[in-house]
Amino acid sequence: MTWWTVVRFAHVLSAALWVGGQLTVSLVLLPLARRLLDVERRGQVLRAVGRRFGMFTGAVFLPVQLGTGVALAWHKGVTWASLAEPGYGRILAAKLLLFCAVMVAAALHGWATGAKRPGLARTMAVTALVGSVGVVLLATALPAT
Amino acid sequence: MTPVEISIGKRPPSGPSEPVRRRAPWHLRANALVVAWLGLTVATALAGEGLPAPRWLLIHVFLLGAVTTAILIWSEHFTVVLLRAQTPDPRLGLTRLGLLNAATVAVLYGVAAGPATIAVGGAAVVVAVVLWHAVALVRLARRALPGRFSHVVAWYVCAAGALAAGGVLGGLLAAQAGGGVLHERTQAAHAEVNLFGWVGLTVLGTLFTLWPTVLRTRLSERTRRASAMGLRLTVPGLTLLTGGLLVDLRWVAAAGLVTYAAGTAAALVPLVEAVRARRPHTGAAWTLGAGVVWFEIALVVNAVIVVTRPTGEVAGALEPLLPLVLAGFVAQVLLGSLLHLLPAVLGGGPARFKENAATLERGWTVRLAAFNLGAPLLALPVPRPLTLLGWALVLASGAAFVVLAAVTLLRAATPATPGVRRPSPVLAGVTAGCLLTAAAVVVAVSGGSGPATTVVATGAKTVEVTLSGMRVRPSVIEAAPGTVLTLRVTNTDAQRHDLRLATGERTPLLAAGQSATLTLKPLGEAVDGWCTVAGHRAAGMTMRIVPTGTQPEAGTEHKEHGGMMSPLDLAAPMSPGWKPYDATLRPAPGGSEHAVEIRVDDRVVREVAPGVRQRVWTFNGTVPGPVLRGRVGDVFTVTFVNGGSMGHGIDFHAGATAPDGPMRTIQPGERLVYRFRADYAGAWLYHCSTMPMSQHIANGMYGAVIIDPPDLARADREYLLVSGELYLGEPGSDAQVVKLREGRPDGWMFNGTAAGYDHAPLEAKAGERVRIWAVAAGPNSGTALHVVGAPFDTVYEEGAYRLRADDPGGAQVLDLAPAQGGFAELVFPEPGTYPVVDHLMRNAEGGAHGLFRVGVR
Repeated sequence: MTWWTVVRFAHVLSAALWVGGQLTVSLVLLPLARRLLDVERRGQVLRAVGRRFGMFTGAVFLPVQLGTGVALAWHKGVTWASLAEPGYGRILAAKLLLFCAVMVAAALHGWATGAKRPGLARTMAVTALVGSVGVVLLATALPAT
Repeated sequence: MTPVEISIGKRPPSGPSEPVRRRAPWHLRANALVVAWLGLTVATALAGEGLPAPRWLLIHVFLLGAVTTAILIWSEHFTVVLLRAQTPDPRLGLTRLGLLNAATVAVLYGVAAGPATIAVGGAAVVVAVVLWHAVALVRLARRALPGRFSHVVAWYVCAAGALAAGGVLGGLLAAQAGGGVLHERTQAAHAEVNLFGWVGLTVLGTLFTLWPTVLRTRLSERTRRASAMGLRLTVPGLTLLTGGLLVDLRWVAAAGLVTYAAGTAAALVPLVEAVRARRPHTGAAWTLGAGVVWFEIALVVNAVIVVTRPTGEVAGALEPLLPLVLAGFVAQVLLGSLLHLLPAVLGGGPARFKENAATLERGWTVRLAAFNLGAPLLALPVPRPLTLLGWALVLASGAAFVVLAAVTLLRAATPATPGVRRPSPVLAGVTAGCLLTAAAVVVAVSGGSGPATTVVATGAKTVEVTLSGMRVRPSVIEAAPGTVLTLRVTNTDAQRHDLRLATGERTPLLAAGQSATLTLKPLGEAVDGWCTVAGHRAAGMTMRIVPTGTQPEAGTEHKEHGGMMSPLDLAAPMSPGWKPYDATLRPAPGGSEHAVEIRVDDRVVREVAPGVRQRVWTFNGTVPGPVLRGRVGDVFTVTFVNGGSMGHGIDFHAGATAPDGPMRTIQPGERLVYRFRADYAGAWLYHCSTMPMSQHIANGMYGAVIIDPPDLARADREYLLVSGELYLGEPGSDAQVVKLREGRPDGWMFNGTAAGYDHAPLEAKAGERVRIWAVAAGPNSGTALHVVGAPFDTVYEEGAYRLRADDPGGAQVLDLAPAQGGFAELVFPEPGTYPVVDHLMRNAEGGAHGLFRVGVR
């Protein structure tokens, strides 16, 4: 137990909230909303959920992930050059690239919702969700030491 | 016969009232196969160097996959349409297609990766399927009413016969039946009969009716006669060509090719007439036309090659031409036909027909221009960037067709309902997310796992590697980690080979006698190498570069890769151009002072055993070094020059001198003068005096000094045999030194080549007195020299006669310990072949073996 444990804990917890939040919305909230609410109400609720989740992403999730992530990488001795090397560096680089792609998809989802393009919005939401799970997969693939 | 309007395929249904129908659903599925193979062809070309046998795979994925499947589908379709025959049971056609595709996969897998038997089995099934196909066509024709198009079927049947022959040859190639030049000739015959027979005959037969249809013109009246004439010329021509190539009759092959060309010219007459009547105006017509033009060009170039080259070199000379034939001729004819035929076959009503036709012809001018600009770049000797540009043009054009064709096929698979069906957003999202994740995983795992091992260069080493007789020699190269290895790869075989390393370095395809140099990155992990010519890897053409100290713990694996420990193939033929070391011993020159220059050459590559060439360390470039001969009391002044790459010295046993001066080691570029008086008669050894002497002697630095005894009688012939051990591998390499230290030679040699005089027997005549001088150079074994069938009547060993000709006794062995010398004399009783062996039988069987061919006096 050192302070680095706390940093890692914050990183993992924040990720769990974000991925778990998306999963909960997609797998629990959405089907229930479709079944229980009429079209107008549903739109209202889902927009509100989306906005809240977006706020959480921008205000908490991203700062925490980026801050702790950079700190952990620095602690680990990761350099720009080492990101290209096979092994830890390259897996981390792939994870970061995928994370960026997920963020782009999430941003597109927000834009498409505002631009009244529900099809694209839904596609991007699912892309972001599946991509996030992929990020978790790559995180677990990072060598432990 | 009156001109007739015919229409195959591209007939837009006459009006909107006609019910929408699918013409033949199985055509749809079957053509999806062709399009899939074409897509795979593009993928194979792009994957290129990453595949085990890139060239071969590209050719066969395209020809055996896409083209053969297409021919099977379309030749049956045309037969049915042209003969107005009853549509045969589609299940049989589908069975043939299924079998063909399974067999194709077997051939591709068997040759590229698996055991050759899979490929041979696949080839057998391909041949069987095509013969079955031919039988089916003949039965269709028999059952149909006699029509004006029945001549087309004859072309298809002959084409099938050609593929049967080509497939059998391909199977033989895959099985590696017959090596060397025969392999090359078989390959040439295989390529010619498949391309000009299976593909060429089918195309010509089809064009008689397809070409007027594509041009929307009338069928020429001469078609029938031209067809009969063409077939009568092309088929015998093809038979002569194939047979001539196989049995090495160049002029027969050339005559066959000329006959074939005459046949195609005859067959093309009505086609040219059609062009005169109506200029091509569609993408299909232009593409088909361009294909036919490339066919003619390929035929002419091919004729030049066959006429100017020996049959054994035809396959090699055809190789650069192949991309042009495949892309320019075969691919364009296939694409042109599909452009024309797909919309009609897919059906779906007039609107759909027009839509499909428009989709397929989209941008055809650009595609056609790109393709025909790119195709010649593939074959011409242009700089590499231009070749790559050619590939990019051809592949992009091909890929564009594949995409467009896939679009029309998918369109046909979905019902033609108005309104756009969108894929569900969830499915799209899941797909996109999975693709992103997969891409990230690929990035993550690329380049292996574990921390990067940057290997620092610690030294450099050059290794001679020879490719011959389905072996890479040496099959194991050991070097310290970090060594920058340079491989000088020489193909000493009669057939072509290359060497490709797992780390990506590769030589071009080397013809007999050609060399190439590969420089590797500093050695980190073990690297495998192999020949990429189809089937050669499976036949054992592999090698491994192993960093020393990282030997695999499992002894079994080491043994498996240590193919070099396998016994030498002493019966194998010597490489072309090999000359034996002349064993004839010339009489001592006059005078009592002899001046000799001996120069070290430790970079020379010599054939140490049949088919095995490796670097040796030598005096004057030969093993053994030059022979010095004189009489007792003669003075030898030897100028010893170190022209090698490391320190060397020299030690003459025949002289008496303090070793300190003349026997000292001198460095490259230095020289010394070694003067000695031969006070004693005998057969003396001289050798390199630099430590470790075992290595310097074992690698070839030895020779003989012959000082005649004063009373030496005249002999009819005198020969000298210097025996020595053979250690395969790079001189001084760890692997070689270990064998040397443990006393495990790979073979034994007389005069520097194991079993050399088995391949170049020594001459003598019955009744002649033959004196055989011998020196045992070792370094660790002596020799028990024995001539089978002829006892010795004289033995002189280490300065004294042990037996003289007038003694009542005889001797069976001249027995020499390492560094001893002497001679034995014998008279061959009668003509025959008399082996001369080291009677230590292990050594004899390991190469200390030669022959005397004794003729009539």
